[in-house]
Amino acid sequence: MNPSFHLLIVDDNPADVSLVREGLAEAAYRGEIDRVGDGAEALAFLNRSGNFGRAVTPDLILLDLNLPKLDGLAVLAAIRAAPELRRIPVVIFSTSQLSRDITRSYELGANCYVTKPGNLTDFFSALKAIDRFWFGSVRLPSRAE
Amino acid sequence: MSAAGTKAALQELPPSQAKLLLVVEDSAADAALMLRELRKDHCDVLATVVQTAVEFEQQLKQRRPEVILADYNLGGWSGMETLEILRREGLDIPVIIVTGALGDVLAVECIKQGATDYVLKDGLARLPEVIRRALREKTERTLRHHMEEDLARKVDELARSNAELEQFAYVASHDLQEPLRMVTAYTQLLGQRYRGKLDETADQFMAYAIEGAQRMQVLILDLLAFSRVGRQEMAPTTVDSNAVMKEALHILNAAIQESGAVVTYGELPAVLANSTQLLQVFQNLIGNAIKFRGKQPPCISVQAEKNDRHWRFSVSDNGIGIAPEQTENIFVVFHRLHTRKEYPGNGIGLAICRKIIARNGGKIWAESKDGAGTTFHFTIPLPATGETQGPPL
Repeated sequence: MNPSFHLLIVDDNPADVSLVREGLAEAAYRGEIDRVGDGAEALAFLNRSGNFGRAVTPDLILLDLNLPKLDGLAVLAAIRAAPELRRIPVVIFSTSQLSRDITRSYELGANCYVTKPGNLTDFFSALKAIDRFWFGSVRLPSRAE
Repeated sequence: MSAAGTKAALQELPPSQAKLLLVVEDSAADAALMLRELRKDHCDVLATVVQTAVEFEQQLKQRRPEVILADYNLGGWSGMETLEILRREGLDIPVIIVTGALGDVLAVECIKQGATDYVLKDGLARLPEVIRRALREKTERTLRHHMEEDLARKVDELARSNAELEQFAYVASHDLQEPLRMVTAYTQLLGQRYRGKLDETADQFMAYAIEGAQRMQVLILDLLAFSRVGRQEMAPTTVDSNAVMKEALHILNAAIQESGAVVTYGELPAVLANSTQLLQVFQNLIGNAIKFRGKQPPCISVQAEKNDRHWRFSVSDNGIGIAPEQTENIFVVFHRLHTRKEYPGNGIGLAICRKIIARNGGKIWAESKDGAGTTFHFTIPLPATGETQGPPL
């Protein structure tokens, strides 16, 4: 496993973040994990502004939709509008099953949409699938280009 | 001589019983003739006579008459103008035009403008009956108006409370999911990591917590599905129910294979419905017929019959049946007749079916004898245009 991967989790619920970390650990993900708790922080992190001056541009963003300050769709739109960020793959990871949210996410350029499963086993399988696909099968763009 | 202010109590009944009559007439003699006719007929009115539009408006405000007699020709103005004034004031008071002579064209015009009736001066004997009828009609009109208002208000309230209920169920189930997901996931994680590391009782407690959280999750998802039926904007299209049937059987294939079920269906019609929802109804009904089977392999038959208003679909089985007194209860949300051990499920399927069918303008009901199979019937209205539905496909 390539230890140089960087994953950014954007999620306001610490319990969910902890569950994602557990799932990724079970999936044997060995890369770095950064986490921010709201939409504004996510953009600050990606733009290396404020406290995030030394932030590393992530290889993949795991983005929740229901976020304080700036919701996930707005974050996604901002990422796709920024020339230096638009190439980063974004996986929407949300509880919402509304087709409106799903359609809008893809319209705004999400790379895939995964509904957070209610069952632990399914939750872990989803993370394993994300890890295997994005950090295994897929060729990601190089970080500095 | 001015006739204004002439008042005539026509009977000795208490004034509260007498109807307030306003007479618009510039000839005192004519006014007196009218009142005499009423007196002769024991018509119980309290009359005020006015001549000018100003007096008329004053009386309208002061006494609020219940019926108005207006002369057509009033030297300077016309009884027709009283109609205009009433309209402007928003008053619904019957006006009877009284006139020396009125051509057919004018008579029609009077009625068009809103006069209740007209009476010729040489036919004043009709007057009492015309007044009575005008008052009767006014009472009926008022009553009908109140009833209509009442009904409109109730329909409005009902629609609002329904919408609120839908919204509540949806928000509750949607917002409850998030915290519940945490409870479920973490009790499961606790179970995985610590089972056998504490004592036996702790393991049992964890098992109960996990089971409870999972059950609640299913219930919430069911409630969400149920409330979603009301929220989807369904645009009914012409749907080939044979195709929907095939799809339902495809989805239920595993259950059919496993139970050895035989499902037969004749030519099914094209109907006006939402295909996803119709699929759900077929799937739920056939799924139930398989689930609630008796000792024999399920034998299920689906038919459709047309009458002049709707298609009636019937899904019959040879399953365990339902006690006749329970055939309505089974459509209530979360109502179950069996324990989960006997038959799994949450009691949401038929509630969803009923909601779908009701929203489509139809009915669904069950007929059964305990232990001797069940038939579910549901109706789908024919299109309102009166066009035929096209032959069975």
